[in-house]
Formats: sequence, C-alpha cells, structure tokens
Amino acid sequence: MSMLEVTNLRKVYTTRFAGNQVEALKNVSFSVEEGEYIAIMGESGSGKTTLLNILAALDKPTDGSVILNDRELTHIRESEVSAFRRDNLGFVFQEFNLLDTFTLEDNIYLPLVLAGKSHQEMSERIAPIADQLGIRKLLRKYPYEVSGGQKQRAAVARALITEPKLILADEPTGALDSKASSELLQLFSEVNRKGQTILMVTHSVNAASHANRILFIKDGEVFHQIYRGNSTNEQLYQKISETLTILATGGDRR
Amino acid sequence: MKIGFYMKLAWTGIKKNHKLYLPYIMTCICMTAMYYIINNLQYSAFLDTLPGSATISAVLTWGSWVIAFFSVIFLFYTNSFLIRRRKKEFGLYNILGMGKKHLSLILVCETMIIMLFSFGAGLSLGILLSKSAELLMINIMEGEIVYRFSMEPASILASIFMTVIIYAGIFFLIFLNALRQIRTANPIALLHSENVGEKPPKSNWLLGLSGLILLITAYWISVTIADPVASLMYFFIAVLLVILGTYLLFMAGSVLFCRILQKKKGYYYKSNHFVSVSSMMYRMKRNGAGLASICILATMVLVMMSSTTSLYFSEEEILTKRYPREINMAFIMKSPDDLSDEKISVLEQDIRTAAAPYQASFENVCSYRDIAFYGIFKDDVIMMDNTTEADYNYDTASDFYDFFFIPLSDYNRLTGKNETLSKNEVLVSVYRSDFVPQELNFQGKDGIKTYQVKKEISDFDLENGDAMMSNLPTMTIIVPDFQESAAWIKTFNDSLNLRWDIYFDTGLSKEQQIALSHSLNETFRTPDAEETYGLWNARSESREANREDFFGLYGGLFYLGIMLSIVFIFAAILIIYYKQISEGYEDQSRFEIMQKVGMTKQEIRRSINFQLLTVFFLPLVFAGLHLIFAFPIIQKLLLLFNFDNVLLFAMTTAGCFFLFALFYSLVYKITSNAYYHIVSDAKE
Repeated sequence: MSMLEVTNLRKVYTTRFAGNQVEALKNVSFSVEEGEYIAIMGESGSGKTTLLNILAALDKPTDGSVILNDRELTHIRESEVSAFRRDNLGFVFQEFNLLDTFTLEDNIYLPLVLAGKSHQEMSERIAPIADQLGIRKLLRKYPYEVSGGQKQRAAVARALITEPKLILADEPTGALDSKASSELLQLFSEVNRKGQTILMVTHSVNAASHANRILFIKDGEVFHQIYRGNSTNEQLYQKISETLTILATGGDRR
Repeated sequence: MKIGFYMKLAWTGIKKNHKLYLPYIMTCICMTAMYYIINNLQYSAFLDTLPGSATISAVLTWGSWVIAFFSVIFLFYTNSFLIRRRKKEFGLYNILGMGKKHLSLILVCETMIIMLFSFGAGLSLGILLSKSAELLMINIMEGEIVYRFSMEPASILASIFMTVIIYAGIFFLIFLNALRQIRTANPIALLHSENVGEKPPKSNWLLGLSGLILLITAYWISVTIADPVASLMYFFIAVLLVILGTYLLFMAGSVLFCRILQKKKGYYYKSNHFVSVSSMMYRMKRNGAGLASICILATMVLVMMSSTTSLYFSEEEILTKRYPREINMAFIMKSPDDLSDEKISVLEQDIRTAAAPYQASFENVCSYRDIAFYGIFKDDVIMMDNTTEADYNYDTASDFYDFFFIPLSDYNRLTGKNETLSKNEVLVSVYRSDFVPQELNFQGKDGIKTYQVKKEISDFDLENGDAMMSNLPTMTIIVPDFQESAAWIKTFNDSLNLRWDIYFDTGLSKEQQIALSHSLNETFRTPDAEETYGLWNARSESREANREDFFGLYGGLFYLGIMLSIVFIFAAILIIYYKQISEGYEDQSRFEIMQKVGMTKQEIRRSINFQLLTVFFLPLVFAGLHLIFAFPIIQKLLLLFNFDNVLLFAMTTAGCFFLFALFYSLVYKITSNAYYHIVSDAKE
C-alpha cells in the first residue's frame, strides 16, 4: 500500500456570477511511496493549487478519494481535520507564513504547542533541526529581522519539527533569490535522503529538477510523469524543459 | 484633470471603506451636533428664566470647550486608523502616476465631503435636538416654564457660526496631519505600509514602576484625605496622577506583564496562552494608550454620573436639611438678656399673631436658643479670641470646630426628656468628627472655663440650616447655665452669635408659604422690631422660595453630567470599535496562517475570545478600581455640596458601574462580532 493514494480526483467550482461550472481537476490519480520526493508542475491555472489544497485537507474534492496513511481524507470530520493536518502534514509556503508576533523559535514551536507538547520536549526536538538548517543563531530573532532565505528555513523547520508523514511545499522557492533557492533545494534533497517524503508544487524547472519524480498537470489532469532514474539534476532539468515545451506546444500524451 | 474626477476618487474611496468611514463620519456628525447643542443652550435666551442661570451658563460654556477639546483628540485618533488603511490605496495611485499634488487634492476632496456631511447632518441634528435638550434641561431643573416652541434666529446663527469655525479648524488640522503622512512616504512604503514589520515592544521597568507608584500615590491621597475643603485641591492632583499613572501602567506595565508571562515557559507554551500572550504583548504597545484612554473615559463617566446623580436625587433631602420646616426663622439678639424665657415667649406670640392672617397651622414647631461661635483646639484648650475667618487655613482645618451652646431647658423640651446637669456639666453631640472630648476647656479673657462632659447624646439633631451648610466639624453642647455662659463669652468674643431659631410647618399652599415668609420678613426686619426685641438681625426663609435655586445648581450639574457622559461614552465606544476593526484587518492574515499550520477553528476562536476579553475588560476592571479608591475623596467633595448620604452615594456608584458594565458588554458583543466577521472573511 502506498503512503498517499489519490484516485479519480475531481473538483468542480461554480463561478460566482454566471454560475458556470469550472472543472479545476478532471481526473487525477497518482500515488506516493514513502521516502519519495515528488514535484508537481504545471502552468498557472492548471489545477496545481487546487490539488495541493485538497491534499492538505483545506479543500474538499467533488469526487474521488485521497488516502493518506490508510485514512480517507475526505471522510475526516471537520473537527478532526486540523489535528490530522497538524500530526501528519508539514507545510512550506511560498510566502513563508511566519507570524510576526513570534520569534523564529516560537514560530517553529507553534505546531508542537498546539499539539500540547511540553517545553522540554520541544527544545529537545528543535536543536538537531536548527543545526541542520543552520538557523541556530537566529532562533531569538523576529521574522522581520532575517532574510527571505532564513525565513524559509525557519518555515521548513516548523514543518519538520512535528516529524510529519508528508511535507507539502507550495512554490517554496517562489519568493527567494537564486542563491537562497538553491540552498533551500539542497536542504530539501538532504531531508529527503534521510527518509522524509516531500511533495512540492512548483513551476520552476530548477526546483523540479531536484525531485525524484515529476508529475505534469495540464487542464486538470495528470498529463505526464518523469522519473529521475539515474539522471543527474542537469539531465533531469533537460528532460523537464523538453516536456514543458511539448506541453506548451500542445503535444499529445505519450 | 478636473476637480470632479478627484471628487469621484475620494467618494469611491469612502464608499469602498465604508466600514471604517461610516463610524468616523457618524462621530463627526455627533460631535458637531453635541457641540452645537451645548453651545446653543448657553446662548439660549430662555436660560435667563431658569433658576441659577448664571451658574448654568458658566458651566455650559466650560462644557462646550471640553467637548471641542475631546473632539480634537477623538477625531485625530479615529482618523489615524483611516489613514493607515488608505495609505495602500494612495500608494497604488502614486505608482499609477499620480503625484503627491494629486493625492493631496484627493485628500482635500475627502475632507470636504466629510466636512459637508458633518456640518449638514450635524447642524440639522443639533438644531432639532437642541429643542429637546432644552426641554430636558427644564425638566431636570423643574423650572415651571410654559414652554413655547420658538426658534431664536440670532442664537442659532451664533451657535452655527461657532460650531463651523471650531470644527472647520479641527478638520483642517486632521487634513494637515494626513497630508504630512502621505507626503513623507514613498510609493512602495505607502503600498506596504500595512505590513511593515514592527519591532516587538521593549519592556520598560522604570515606566511601569513609576506608573504603579503614581497610581498608589493618588489612591493614598484619596483614602487618607480628611478635610472636605482641602479635598477639592487634592482631588485635581489625584486625578492628574491617576491619568498619568494609568497611561504609564497600560503602556509599559502591560508589556512588562506579558514579558513575565513569556518567561514562564510552562505557562507560555500552552496552546491557549501561546498565541494570545504574544499577540497581546505586541498589541499593548500600540494600543496601551487606547486602552488607557478607554479606562480614563470610563472612570470619568462613572465619577460624573454617580456624583451628579447622587446630588440630583438627594436634592429634596438636602433642601430639607437646609430648610428643616416650611418656614425657618432666625433671630440674632444683641445681648444675652434678650434670650430670656419671657422675651422669647413674647416674640413667639408675636410671630403667631403676624402669621394669623394666613391661618398658618404652626405644626412641627421647633424652637431653641443657641449661641454659635468658632473655636480651635490648641492642645486641650479651645481658643476663640483670635479665631476669625482670616486664621482659617488648611493646616488647622481639622482642629477647627463650630460650637453651639444650647440651654438644657430647650433640650429637654424638644426631646421630651428630663436630663439634669449640675453646674459645669454638659451634654455633647458631635457632627462631622469622631472626637468626643472628656472635658472642654474654653480659654476666656480672664482664665479658662472648664466643662465636664457628662455624656454624648445622639438624639438631638441641630435643626439649623446654617450648621448643615458649614463644612466644619460641629460640636453641640447642652449647658445648664446658658445665659451666664453666653454673657461670659460675649465679654471677649465679638463674633458670637446669640440666636433664637424657630421652624414650623404651615399647612399652606406653596404660594401662601412664600407669601407668609415674605410678610414675616417685613414684620420683623424693621427698626421697630429690632428695638422691641433687641435684634441685630432677623430673617425668615421659606423652603419653597429656595427650591428653585437649589434645583438650578444640582439640576445643572446633573444635566451637564448626562451630556458629558454621552460624549465620553461615545468616545469610548469609538475607540473600542476602531481598535477592533483595525486589529481585525491585521489579524486576518495571522489567523489564516495559524489555520494552515494546524490550529482548529475552535482553538482560534478560544484564543480570540481570551484576547478580546482581557483587552476589553482590563479598562473596565481598572475603572472600577479607580472608582473604589476615588470614593472617599469624592464623598468628601460632595460634603461641600451638603451631601452626606454615604449609603445613597455608594448605591448610586454601584448602580452606575453596573449599568456601565452592562452597556460596555453590549458594545463588546457588537464590536467583537464585527471583528469575527472581518477575521473569518479572509478564510473564504
């Protein structure tokens, strides 16, 4: 059994004015094995964000099922969703989403505090993560005092500290410069090597080229996927670019 | 580009942000109307027909300046929220190619629109309501004026003129302030002004501590003050200390408190404290001033309401104390001999004769002789030879007494008792003091005269309006040798009053009572009468004739209390509302993040509730605390208004607090709903 099993996912939105039905996701099926590092690519409006929101249990699909760790996401009761999300998922967002009223340390603690962990346990957990992410000296600082790359590393630390089954990253390099981006992507690869499953939505070819498998979404469907195999990042980069060109010029499904 | 275009931009801006602009414009309208009403009342010609009109007019003038002053503060405060919200829009216009000049033009248009609304609606509302305000005032004063609906164009124009001048000035100041903020910022800064990262507040021990010390000092003054006259001066000092202390405590102390909570890791890192403590701390710095303002306004309203209401509702009681019977007569005699039993009974008979044409019934007659003088306790001796008014100062005020000597025979007659006193023995009754001496030593010209106090009595109320009106502690002394004592004191004390008082009810109509009193004055305030009875002075006062003056003062204070309370409450509501709204917009993104990170809706709601409750009820709790500690000094102050009904005052104060708390909770409910609305809007 895979860790994440997405089957026949469909999502229909009704537009506000005309009442038109828009199919954001038509028929999406894929699965994620434990320890995978998956990138989901697609143009703006292809349905990436809708998919991610459904995986994060922030949104409900119209049809289909999402099974994470043997639990049907669509069946979880509203009152349990937050706790489920907290315990099983870690999030990294494009715009960091750190709370400016907290120090980086407190920001990282936030999910643990919500889970009711003791302070001692929290400080035990943060030490190795802060070392790994190189933010140990920044813990006492407030978000507005550090750079974008540092903020994003704090956000990654916040995602990792709960030891989640799956990390969902939404354009994690979108707001970073190239240096900070490549640092973050290296970090992701490193975390992944230690066994962390990552699912990243991006339209940066560079970011996607760090993943082990790339899913391409077009018009609400999984259009294509590439496995890394034995390719290097550069080779993978090449493959992704080619695929995107084909996608953009309207090639048929291979 | 034409001005119409800017008008349109300004108008759209206002419409788009109506949630913020509507209350702001309402404030402007209400402030203008309130100012107009108070201002118009003092011009109003009909005020002259009210009792005590000069006092009321002065009080109203003062009141209108208070309202103008508060308008400046409130409108500036509320406007600062508007500017913060609109900066983003201005930033966008700026980037789209509008210069600072054009932005200023939009601001001008906006100010014009708001001014137009405020003056149009405010003045119409004011003119309409000022008539009902007059009616309310007449009602409160219990003036018996047949009210004719009339518009005095001159007074209306004068008030409109004043209102427009003052508020145009205020709007201009606000405009300049907005201009300054727009001009000094660059477009990018404008665009992002709402999301600028803010330094977490530093905790300042010194400020917090000094706030606490100021507050304790003010409380200490209030609790320890003993003398009513001195209390007036100390009251204003205490008020200043409380205001300063509250601001310091709220701004520095609250941050300090949150810091301490944060240091306690076991407490801080709990899901229901974590978010609230940190965002409260963050908030306190900016909003500490707002909370302190709410607290002070609440305290002002409570103090004003409770004291003026107490006074107003005990008017009758105070009036009765001052004028114990319908007719109150006092005769001041030239020599002690004129106070002999025979002469007094002749005088009383003549009064009855004089009153005969009115067929007054002479019920509840109370008459007694007394000699009255001031004296100071110096060590154990009572000095009176040099105790004139000039010596009266605050330092010795607590040793200063009013003394009344009453003959034992009059005491026995009035109380129906049969007390006996041997020579140099006296009975004593003390009022406004707890000090009951064992013996009384009066310093005379040729030695000390000593009385032994046989016992303290409590069944003799000196039904003497003059004694009631005094603020000094009073000692009533029942002596066996009245005339000798009077003669002895007379030899060295010129300020001695030898008097005979007679009070009685008449069973007559109001008009008849006044007429009778008038006629008695005419009879006994003649050289003939003075000759006959050996009078220095005689007077007759009717309770009814003085009622209107009384109600003029107390009613005027009550009226002003109501008006100012409305203004202050209004101000407090606005501050609360704007706090909630602006915080709501700030918190939108914060709560969104928290939800994404895994906070449940209930947890968010609980955390919001905890925060709101603390932030909201902190001012109320402190206002209550201030009120409790202000109680002793205000009670002393009320003594100056002849009010000494502590129970009534305590009940009114508690009632006012309860009412206010109820009202406050209602406002809390409404504004926190608006807050939830804004916060949850973002999640959709």
